[in-house]
Amino acid sequence: MERTYNILFAGVGGQGLMLLSAVLGKAAVDAGLDVMTGETHGLAQRSGSIYVHFKIGKPISPLIPYGKADMLIAMEATEALRYIEYLKDDGVIIMSKHIMPAVAETMEVALDKEKKKKYFTLEQVEERVRKVTKNVIALDSLGLSLEAGNTRTENSVLIGSAASCPDFPIPIDDLRKAVLALVPPKTVEANSKAFDLGREAGGACLS
Amino acid sequence: MTVEDVKRTDKGRALMLSNEAVVRGALEANVKVVAFYPGSPVSEIMDTFGDVLDHFGDYKMEISANEKVALETVAGASMAGVRSFTSMKSVGMNVASDAMYSLAYTGINAGCVVLMADDPFAHSSQSEQDARYFGEAAYVPMIEPANAQEAYEMTKWAFEISEKHKTLVLMRTTTRVNHARGMVQLGELERTPFKKKRWQDVKGQYFTVGSVARAHKARLLEKMKAMREDFEKTPFNRIDEGDGKTGIITAGVCYLHTREAMQNLEVNLPILKIGTINPLPEKKISEFLKKLDTVIFVEELSPYLETRITALAKDVNPSIKIVGKRSGDFSEMLEYNVQIVEKVLANILNKEVSHDYDKYWKRAEELKKDFPDRVPIFCPGCPHRGTLWAFRQALDRLKIRDDMVFNNDIGCYSMAFLPPNEFSDSMLAMGASLGVSAGMSLVLEDKIIAMVGDSTLYHAALPGIVNLIHHRSNVTLFVLDNSVTAMTGQQFNPNTPFDAGGKAAKKINMDKLFEALGADSITVIDPYDTRNCIDPIKDAIEADGFNVIISRRECALYGDRQKKKRGEKIHQSENVKETCREIYSCVKEFYCPAIMVDESDHKMMIMENLCDGCLECRQVCPVDAPRHIEGR
Repeated sequence: MERTYNILFAGVGGQGLMLLSAVLGKAAVDAGLDVMTGETHGLAQRSGSIYVHFKIGKPISPLIPYGKADMLIAMEATEALRYIEYLKDDGVIIMSKHIMPAVAETMEVALDKEKKKKYFTLEQVEERVRKVTKNVIALDSLGLSLEAGNTRTENSVLIGSAASCPDFPIPIDDLRKAVLALVPPKTVEANSKAFDLGREAGGACLS
Repeated sequence: MTVEDVKRTDKGRALMLSNEAVVRGALEANVKVVAFYPGSPVSEIMDTFGDVLDHFGDYKMEISANEKVALETVAGASMAGVRSFTSMKSVGMNVASDAMYSLAYTGINAGCVVLMADDPFAHSSQSEQDARYFGEAAYVPMIEPANAQEAYEMTKWAFEISEKHKTLVLMRTTTRVNHARGMVQLGELERTPFKKKRWQDVKGQYFTVGSVARAHKARLLEKMKAMREDFEKTPFNRIDEGDGKTGIITAGVCYLHTREAMQNLEVNLPILKIGTINPLPEKKISEFLKKLDTVIFVEELSPYLETRITALAKDVNPSIKIVGKRSGDFSEMLEYNVQIVEKVLANILNKEVSHDYDKYWKRAEELKKDFPDRVPIFCPGCPHRGTLWAFRQALDRLKIRDDMVFNNDIGCYSMAFLPPNEFSDSMLAMGASLGVSAGMSLVLEDKIIAMVGDSTLYHAALPGIVNLIHHRSNVTLFVLDNSVTAMTGQQFNPNTPFDAGGKAAKKINMDKLFEALGADSITVIDPYDTRNCIDPIKDAIEADGFNVIISRRECALYGDRQKKKRGEKIHQSENVKETCREIYSCVKEFYCPAIMVDESDHKMMIMENLCDGCLECRQVCPVDAPRHIEGR
């Protein structure tokens, strides 16, 4: 491929972000594409904000500069906004509708005696990220994973949705194969369904 | 996953984390002994070696008590005639360096390679230490890769240099290289069986002091001279030809940022990419400098290359303009990236930056106004949360919050400096809480309290503890015994009956250890029995002498994995709304990520998918509202 396609993955520690990027990496390599990533590992704790810079094509540096990500995949909605500086104008956002409130926010909500302080909402996230792009796909990844028969297939929903985007560089069949090759054998069927549900939901949102 | 690529016997291409590529390189070089203490950003090297240990079954691996022991272990293996390897983070090299300086003098036998990772931005370290100076200071060669392919190739090459010149070789990386994934062209994986040797057949003398040391030093200088010659020829020191009289000297990941920045600016400056940062290829550098009127140094942290090469320029091209840190164009802080490098290049070349990076940053700042931060906190089910809560209650009951000092140490519990605890008067280095406590106890009237985890205890805290007990110091020590080295990924340590790859090992008996050392009291508490921890902590703090509180409960992440293996389920909790009186102790005093406020009734609710079922929150709730979900 002529140019490099940049994806920024964002999520919360414990959501399986590293696995998701590894799956996508395998799929790209199987499709004959070169990949480079810049990842956050480090502290092993759960619940922190984490990211993976993921570049397909002719990557040089492992990091995506501000305003140069073609796609932002957020496994938690507020994490899409947290890394919004990386997305190019009218880049694609694929995000879960799921919100995991940060503890500092829960403190503010609990301590407000007048009970006026509210959690940051999905609508607020969407409204703000839409100032950068109209291409926002917000998925009820949990609901769709339930429909697929296993709540641990949320990431397959997101990947299926990413694959449905018009200029996504990895052929959808390669991607599907890579996902199913790397998930636990017992969950192949559920992941396959989750992938398809994501793909359909993605297409529907973009049109 | 990519561990499969480490095992592959075909010579295909693979997408690998640089840390995995290093393992592959060492295996292709037929490494026979590896030893490690974990640390970010190199933990995956150790973990990967552990994952494939049984598969290969032809190398020995130990999880060492600390980096110095790890280095000495691989040095001993090299002296005994087999190739050996260790890796450590920059501050780990501080610990190991005592042995490292002597090893430089004595030399080694079979190839002995040490990977050492710096951490620009201090992502997961206590400083932005630039450990490149170790190579020069110790007279040890140091090489630096830029990506996974080079990490793989250089690891193999390092063993060759090591054996040719009978020297330890340091391979320096930075976090951004360790944690980058890239394409690697795999080579031949030919392993030989592990065989024991006899000292008679391999023996050498590895001894240094006085006249012997002076003789070693003379030989060491000869070795450096020979290596300097070799390094002039290696393709790892490479000139990318370009246009004009402005050139760039760079190394490591900065080379990649520079290439991308040049592509963006549509310029093609000549680049000298340095692969051997000690000794430097001075002839090659001199030739490069002679053709230029301006040289730009792109390197993170200290002006290491800049300082040394500026000294060279004095002889070969005194009028050359130098752009770097001394000129104020680059910072000695933080990590670099494409936009940082591009801005400097554009400025020097009088060009426009190719992309309005600042626009995106400023817009994002606008969009993120009043947007809640997500700071690191303890995991759901973490035993430290309960220990620290009970510790605070004990301090309040003793009314000594303002009459005590708390010296913290390195581990997950370092986060005690963050809310809701927000106390930690010092934290320097592994085991330092004990020495610092010794000094403070000489001077302060206050109660002195120190805290270490089990891994830190065996890593570097023991001498400090012996010192405190010997001097009859009045210090209370918390030992957070969560079974494993939690922060770096729950690796085994002397506190577990396991070694690398899950092989059996002897667990050190912590309680007997403190007893034998002569601690004045040893109190074992269970942080899940949180309320009942308060009084024992209070008693230990009140008592004179050296009193130890061992808070014992396995790391929740480790415990959950064990449960899964045993086929046990996690029994999640719920908040019983009828009982809840909106006191919010669970929120204010506890900071569990599984807890949030239900906006419909403003009562606490537990996020089932995150809950670990520890019920520590019930312990801090004055009305016992949380309980396990019934019928599960």
